[in-house]
Amino acid sequence: MNFTNLQIETDSLPKVEDLDLKPISKSYFKIIILNQLALYAILIGLVFGIRYFIEKEEEVQLNLGYMLAIVLGFCVVNFFISFLAFKKRKYAIREHDVVYSKGLIIHSVTTVPMSRIQHVEESRSWLARHFGLATLKIFTAGESGSDLSIKGLPHLEAKQIKEIISNKVNGNN
Amino acid sequence: METTDFSQPQRQSSKGIIIIFAFNAVTFFKKFFVLFIAFGISILKSKSIGNVTPTMMFLALIAVLLIILVIAILKYLNFKFHLSNDDFHLATGIINKDNTIIPKSKIQNVYIKQNFLQQVIDVVSVKIETAGDKKSEIEISALDKPTALLLKKKLFHKSTVENTQIEDIEEKNIFFKVTPKRLLLEGLSENHFKSFLIIFAFVFGLYSEFEQYLETLRVEDHIADLVRLDDDTFFNLLVTNLVIIIAVVFISFLFSVVKTFIINFNLEVVEHQKTVEINKGLFNKISLSLTPSRIQNLVITTNRVKQYFNLHSLSVKQAMVNAKQQKNFKIVALEKEQLNYLTDKLLTNYSNNGETEKPRPYFMRISAMKMLFFLLVINGMLLGLFGMELLWMNILFVPLAMLYVYYAYKKAYYRISDDFVTIGSGVIDTTTNILEIHKIQAVKLKQTIFQKRIQITSVVIYTASKSVMIPYINEKRACKIYNFLLYKVESQERDWM
Repeated sequence: MNFTNLQIETDSLPKVEDLDLKPISKSYFKIIILNQLALYAILIGLVFGIRYFIEKEEEVQLNLGYMLAIVLGFCVVNFFISFLAFKKRKYAIREHDVVYSKGLIIHSVTTVPMSRIQHVEESRSWLARHFGLATLKIFTAGESGSDLSIKGLPHLEAKQIKEIISNKVNGNN
Repeated sequence: METTDFSQPQRQSSKGIIIIFAFNAVTFFKKFFVLFIAFGISILKSKSIGNVTPTMMFLALIAVLLIILVIAILKYLNFKFHLSNDDFHLATGIINKDNTIIPKSKIQNVYIKQNFLQQVIDVVSVKIETAGDKKSEIEISALDKPTALLLKKKLFHKSTVENTQIEDIEEKNIFFKVTPKRLLLEGLSENHFKSFLIIFAFVFGLYSEFEQYLETLRVEDHIADLVRLDDDTFFNLLVTNLVIIIAVVFISFLFSVVKTFIINFNLEVVEHQKTVEINKGLFNKISLSLTPSRIQNLVITTNRVKQYFNLHSLSVKQAMVNAKQQKNFKIVALEKEQLNYLTDKLLTNYSNNGETEKPRPYFMRISAMKMLFFLLVINGMLLGLFGMELLWMNILFVPLAMLYVYYAYKKAYYRISDDFVTIGSGVIDTTTNILEIHKIQAVKLKQTIFQKRIQITSVVIYTASKSVMIPYINEKRACKIYNFLLYKVESQERDWM
């Protein structure tokens, strides 16, 4: 029996913290901007709507200036956070696994070993098609929390990664 | 009895018609329950609506039952299963014909179940579950017991041949049988908070279901009368509250005991050579086998009182089993030695070595903050509902909250050995979570922006059945664990199922 049980030097293991993660495509930020702008437009619309309806029904004067200031303040902060969070979206494909990190306020780094991937999917929304981007979805057998969805990859790269992973997954079986 | 030949397509026992009929009838009436009551009441009140008389209603009811019966018969006639070499075939459907084929190797579990009606007419149902698709669950609802056992054996046959050749010489060994006394203790020592919540939810659910009818009875006015506070009646109120509390406590005790008895009646753990079989239940008799390679997590729970009586429960989590089944995989009232033995059997070479480590004290800060928030909400509610009068309750709440934080931290630990991760947690209960490293599906580091400053990170470990977290540890240590776990999973190429 060819059995060995060598001690593992934990310091010499491949380190995820030293990994050079690759940022996602810059043009994905445009999609984020568009989404956020739509949200802000709805919020500001709501402010005017509320004012219009309430003042019609009751005899209260709402201070439009204050309300707008609060909403606009929120929008600015939210935009700033979105921008910083965007920079945190990074990924890496290693020989044996896929690493994806994201999140500003709650930062997470998820790694899915290739041998645990059930299937890979590449999907493109209408907006993403417009900017030549794609989303790579990686499914495992675990609960939904362990599935990865890497948004904002250049279409070609997403396709390539999908090929690489599919080959690896099929090769292992 | 002659052995059944499973290679020919065959129907279930003809008693199946009764089972299907009863099942469909019950689901039908459940769906239209509220409607029925509404109709019934209004008809009784006014004798007739339009042209509908009670007799007509009665006839309609019979017609509905007849239709359900016909459907049941058709379902029964169209339900055929057989085994060919390595596959299980099933044909169902009255109008839409479905043909399901399951390779034996993909079968994860075969349960034998017997609900109350099935016990009366002496048949069992066989449930076949595969990992993955939740919908592909298959149930043959009426077979006589010897046939069912034979089918189960045949379904597992192939996969066992692959591993070892000698499962045929079945070494049966009833390893553990629960005594009524231990079940009683188990029920009494349960975490009654949960029962209390269930009762509360049940009453609340009933209330909202019947709100309309209750309204007509003007119950709310009565309650409003009761709740109205007077200074003279303050003492009265105190006594009433005390009575209510005692009643609730008593009911939750009773509820726990009865529930434990019904679910775990005659609990029996049978040890086979490779697998472990659990039999239990009073109204719903179930029998299921556990295969060690399919197990993703083991969860051991006990609490102070249970420890005193030497009672431990063991839950076995498998991949993709729905929540309702999941709770059946629980063995209660085990003694410490039996528990250790079973753990050893289900997880080969489970070693408890490795350093026991604790989360950073930051853990306490977070739980204290959660508790503070909880207290604020409770205080807000008390203020809103009763004014200043009940704020003295904080004398009770605050020490409880402090104890909660203290125990939550005291019980939290983690231990990583070569092949296993063990995580301890719990406040009232003591929970131990064990998982095998080579069954990990994904690993995640999680850090909030506040934790970044003080270099604290949590590690989330996903398996196919559930995720567990090693909370709030040093960043460097977390990275080390992360790398180590990934190395283990990726270098071994062992299957997770």
